[in-house]
Amino acid sequence: MKGLGVIYDGLIKRNPTFVLILGMCPTLGTTSTAITGLSMGLATLLVLVCSNAAISMLKNFIPDKVRIPAFIVVIASFVTIVQMVMQAWFPSLYSALGIFIPLIVVNCILLGRAEAFASKNPVGLSVCDGIGIGLGFTCALTAIGIVRELLGTGAVFGCQLYSADFGALLFVLAPGAFIVLGLLLALFNRLIIKK
Amino acid sequence: MKSTLANMMLSLTALTALAGTALGVVNILTAEPIEKASKRARSEALEAVLPTFDNDIISAAVECADGSVVYPAKLGAQDVGAAVETFSDNGFSGRINVLVGFGADGVITGYRVLAHSETPGLGAKAADWFDVEPHDIKGRSDALAVRQDGGDVDAITGATITSRAFLEAVNKAGAEYSNYKNTKR
Repeated sequence: MKGLGVIYDGLIKRNPTFVLILGMCPTLGTTSTAITGLSMGLATLLVLVCSNAAISMLKNFIPDKVRIPAFIVVIASFVTIVQMVMQAWFPSLYSALGIFIPLIVVNCILLGRAEAFASKNPVGLSVCDGIGIGLGFTCALTAIGIVRELLGTGAVFGCQLYSADFGALLFVLAPGAFIVLGLLLALFNRLIIKK
Repeated sequence: MKSTLANMMLSLTALTALAGTALGVVNILTAEPIEKASKRARSEALEAVLPTFDNDIISAAVECADGSVVYPAKLGAQDVGAAVETFSDNGFSGRINVLVGFGADGVITGYRVLAHSETPGLGAKAADWFDVEPHDIKGRSDALAVRQDGGDVDAITGATITSRAFLEAVNKAGAEYSNYKNTKR
């Protein structure tokens, strides 16, 4: 039951995008359509669960002074594995996400969760934390992607809802990413966090 | 855990060795599917831009001096044209790689943008802009230019630079194709 609480925390109370405001580079870069946002979120979720589990298992064998390089080696290995697997079996997804897959290594969400959670908690809870934070990130990226794709091109997940001619190109480009992120962040904090 | 020189060295060495082994294994496992996937993507693009052909087009490929690649297509013993893979470095964000198919008479039968880093929503439209009326470049065999440069091809709205670079690559592909035909004779 404690695990469910941890997942809920990651998804809502400590949502990496809307509350912790971590990992902004992939958030802004990969959300021009809903499907790329979703895939980026899922790739990060996968790496996060694996790295949290591995780091939690290894935490008693890693000396304090070299913990950061050790975490980065673990994270980078999982990212490279995900990258190779994607390239082999999901080539179209791989070409759509391009440079952002290797950049998961330097996504501060991963190092942040390794340092703040996985290195202090047992394996099971760390996996739950990875799932929660990963799902929070995936939902946030998908939400931003849906709004940007809808306003920019009139489609959601590639289904045309109204003519692309009425879309505001601004939302597909980088400034639109900042605007949508800001508005969704405000909305999320107003409706769900209610301070 | 308390840090000493010995345990820091030992733990980092063990961890990197473990990571290296894991990556090596995954690399071996995925090498073949990755190769297959890229080959399949290539042959799908070739089939999309060319008229019907039945030769082993990838092994028949000829590389040109500037890095372009000509894929000669044959149906039985007859030449039915060729696809040329080439590039332009004058895109809005650097290199644009294109694959252009030509019929035996030198007219464009289709194209694919293989790789680019153009702006989504603007330059990235090159992937299908020149494929549909009224900007269609299929069936053309002359040198192409955008209207702004005195030609008759409509540039992508808001992405004239990309359109110019794209047409430059298409023209280059045309030149490589006629070069290839001339040297073969």
